[in-house]
Amino acid sequence: MGGLQKKKYERGSATNYITRNKARKKLQLSLADFRRLCILKGIYPHEPKHKKKVNKGSTAPRTFYLFKDIRFLLHEPIVRKFREYKVFVRKLRKAYGKAEWTGVERLRDNKPGYKLDHIIKERYPTFIDALRDIDDALSMCFLFSTFARTGKCHVQTITLCRRLTVEWMNYVVTSRSLRKVFLSIKGIYYQAEVLGQLITWLVPYQFAHDHPTDVDYRVMATFTEMYTTLFGFINFRLYQTLNLVYPPKLDSKAESELKAEHEEDYAMDSESYLEKLSALSASLARVVATAEEEENQLDLFPTEGEDQENMQAREKEQKEQEAQKRLFEGLKFFLNREVPRESLAFILRCFGAEVSWDKSLCIGGTYEVTDETITHQIVDRPDMDKQYINRYYIQPQWVFDSVNAQMRLPVEDYFLGTTLPPHLSPFVEEKDGDYVPPEKLKLMALQRGEKPVQEEEDEEEEDEEEEEEDDEEEDDVDDEELTEEKNLKKMEGTRAQGKTLAVKVTPGKVKPWETGSVGNKVRLEQEEKAEEKRLAIMMMKKKEKYLYDKIMFGKKRTTREVNVVAGPEMSSLCNNKKLINSRTTCVRGHYLFTWTLVPS
Amino acid sequence: MAAVKRLKRVAAAQPGFMSFKSSAGSDDLNSGQRKRVNKNKKKNWNKHSDIQDVEEFLDDVRLQERATGGLISEKPDDSLFFVDIGEQRKYVQPEVQEGKKGKKSKSRPLRIDLILQHDSLVPPPKDILAHQQPNAKKLRRIAENAEKLAAMGVLPRRQKRLLNRRPAVTASKSKTAANNFPDRPYYDLWGGDAKETADPYYLEQTGKKRVKRPEKLNSKPSVLPAVEVIAPGGSYNPDFFSHQALLLEAHEVEVKRERAELRIERQLAVNREDTATEETVFQELVEGLVEEEEDEDEEEEDVSIRGGLQQEKKTEKERRRERADKIKSQQKQAARVFTDKKQQLFQLRSIQATLKRGEQQTRERVAQRKANQEAEKSMPRRLGRLRFQAQDLEVQLSDEIPGSLRTLKPEGSVLKDRFKSMQKRNMIEPRERAKFKRRHKVKYVEKRAFREIT
Repeated sequence: MGGLQKKKYERGSATNYITRNKARKKLQLSLADFRRLCILKGIYPHEPKHKKKVNKGSTAPRTFYLFKDIRFLLHEPIVRKFREYKVFVRKLRKAYGKAEWTGVERLRDNKPGYKLDHIIKERYPTFIDALRDIDDALSMCFLFSTFARTGKCHVQTITLCRRLTVEWMNYVVTSRSLRKVFLSIKGIYYQAEVLGQLITWLVPYQFAHDHPTDVDYRVMATFTEMYTTLFGFINFRLYQTLNLVYPPKLDSKAESELKAEHEEDYAMDSESYLEKLSALSASLARVVATAEEEENQLDLFPTEGEDQENMQAREKEQKEQEAQKRLFEGLKFFLNREVPRESLAFILRCFGAEVSWDKSLCIGGTYEVTDETITHQIVDRPDMDKQYINRYYIQPQWVFDSVNAQMRLPVEDYFLGTTLPPHLSPFVEEKDGDYVPPEKLKLMALQRGEKPVQEEEDEEEEDEEEEEEDDEEEDDVDDEELTEEKNLKKMEGTRAQGKTLAVKVTPGKVKPWETGSVGNKVRLEQEEKAEEKRLAIMMMKKKEKYLYDKIMFGKKRTTREVNVVAGPEMSSLCNNKKLINSRTTCVRGHYLFTWTLVPS
Repeated sequence: MAAVKRLKRVAAAQPGFMSFKSSAGSDDLNSGQRKRVNKNKKKNWNKHSDIQDVEEFLDDVRLQERATGGLISEKPDDSLFFVDIGEQRKYVQPEVQEGKKGKKSKSRPLRIDLILQHDSLVPPPKDILAHQQPNAKKLRRIAENAEKLAAMGVLPRRQKRLLNRRPAVTASKSKTAANNFPDRPYYDLWGGDAKETADPYYLEQTGKKRVKRPEKLNSKPSVLPAVEVIAPGGSYNPDFFSHQALLLEAHEVEVKRERAELRIERQLAVNREDTATEETVFQELVEGLVEEEEDEDEEEEDVSIRGGLQQEKKTEKERRRERADKIKSQQKQAARVFTDKKQQLFQLRSIQATLKRGEQQTRERVAQRKANQEAEKSMPRRLGRLRFQAQDLEVQLSDEIPGSLRTLKPEGSVLKDRFKSMQKRNMIEPRERAKFKRRHKVKYVEKRAFREIT
């Protein structure tokens, strides 16, 4: 036997991890600097699997880093800059203490700085990597740009964040890539599709700040420092893809238009330029002036069978997207002063509308309230004194809901002074059997092209114009449906070719609605589908059939439960069922009642 | 002598001449005897003619020219004399604006400079070297040589060295702008990759090559999305049921919190029976004073029992019987095992069932463990001393829901949401603000001046 006795904690997980303090000492940095470095380099603490082994027998909770990560940090050139900065601060303090003002000046001139470009390149080797990780950067920059200049963070940071977010918004407007908007009690959630990536970000409401005390501002500022660098490079690249000038410039035509009006109200040209850009009312200058955006069409290849189906489906999808991008094209909006200008202008411009506002509200308004060609005025007050007869006075929610529904919703529900329908979250995707709010069902019906049932006769006269628009839309929808049907038929054909089934064909009965009226087509199709499904079920193996039955049973049960919880209407529910249990609890000082409905 | 006298006379006869040393040599004009000298030789002329006074005169003229800038006799009276009218009153200048004053003083030369100004009529001696060059010939030859070499294309060594010298690095000295500079320029970071041309080994050895980032670092510490969208009940104008669902969620959180609080309260509550009553207090006071004899008795009994437990020696017979019993029981056991084994043949079905059940159990456990592992990926880990604590759910109660966007009062803070999101995604460890700890005690001393008043 023999050999050396193995010592504890000299191999294995004990050597793979390093505590934060040891790492800090190894790098010769202060804790604040170490934390900053880790954030910038994207090195996060780890929770080891066997804490006791790593912690040399102790179970005290500590922060651990992977040893290899720290060794990687040793090579970072920024570490030296941090040390230099530390020395700089020391010298400066000394010079101040001795009142050597020339010395202070000299030191200030030679203040050590550092760049993060190489870190960004290292962390995100390709552009798409960076774009995937932009959610955080966007939310952070939007947040910082709304901060008041109160000294909680550098004013320069705020200005830079503002600049970057304005650039981003301008990009989204120009590329028309906004998809969803959700007005929540926290802030506004946006979702855009940029180069095939879904990007979600949160924008706080303006003037909604109280500075929470339990947030580490230094950490947040460090994150922002990294994110602004990343964001700027991404912006540059995005502008390049759209052939736009970076840093953004207003179109020369638009610029001259804007210049003509009340230029003297704003002090400096350099200051007002960012304001003008952030107004979002004008288009941007391009590197190569192009007359119009050329339609990029998919390359057509001769395809067969399934490929063709896919192709057609893709084509259809693209068509829909194009239609969605032009949602508000041709409409002229005017924003009243009480509505959130920036978000509305951003959304409306994203879908091709023209927007203006009162000139005392913000720079960049292009037309007055008195303009006769305005089609919609967005108002958020109980009533207006002076109303123009040829425009709709609607509440801001119409815009958001229309964007989420991907169609222009009927304006009647959103008129001035009416109670609004609920604003549903577009980020929820209901599964089969989940509870679906009735408003959503109605909306889905609208999207399918069905007309709402309870249209009142009286309103018809007023809505003539509206209906015309609707008719156009419906035509589009009909076209789409026709194409869809064709696709389905083709699919069937191909399937039939694939399988040669030994099925006896019996002559079908002629049903009265089958005679060919256009309205019944949908029903016919549904019938056909159901028949197909029934046949498929019949063809199942016993084992599969059993499984299928089980699944269906489960689904039915969930739907039943949902229906019990939330029936079609609350009132009917309350009539049928008894309210038996109510709990009272206290949430933040408010009493909360929870009702449970039980069938009587 | 006669010549001297004559010269003197000539000088004195000059109109307006005034000697500086007017008294000198006026009485020795006629003194002494005349010396007789041959004047036929030029040598004697120089030797015996007295030209001192002429020289003195000329010196004097030069002196006057040097010191006063011309002959005093030729100067006008105004420049030499002034009318003494007693003490002059100083002219007090009114306060002039500082800028003007500065300008004036700048334009006028200083008095000290005026005094030191060169005002003699005698021009300064010429610099002879201005027109001459030392070593001119040598230099000329060198230049010619260099020209010849240049024509041949050979550079002198000094120039060659200059050319070979590395250019001074000025770029490194240029200031790097701060990262939050608002107008900072950006460029195409992911543009064309510049290929490294230098030897990779050289770059590695000189530390010029960046160390490659480990792949593992690019994976995110959590699978949670960066921006979690609030539940549909958090809409500013929510649907009734989704709002209720959110409220229920908030309610459950609150119930849990309340329960935890209650538990602590219960644990801290004082038991009624533990409080001192009069009786117990008295008991305590009397404790030990009243003797109890029963205890002693018990002790005695204990001792007696212990004594009775003494073992007696086993007899041979007993031992034999014990041995037989043991063997018997062993045999019985073996027989039992044998029959059990035999019986198992008939239990096959039930055994199979138990095996199946066991397998099923393990499968379930594996699935559960896997599910737990999956769930753990999206859970906040324990990264430090403190556990992650989720922020309060943002909820608006039914009566707080605004009718319109204008009257909406935002709930919660986006800043806190971002911060907590980062903690939740294991990017930073949860911490609490460092508390200020005073290292030394503060000593309060009343100042003497203050003490005097009070």
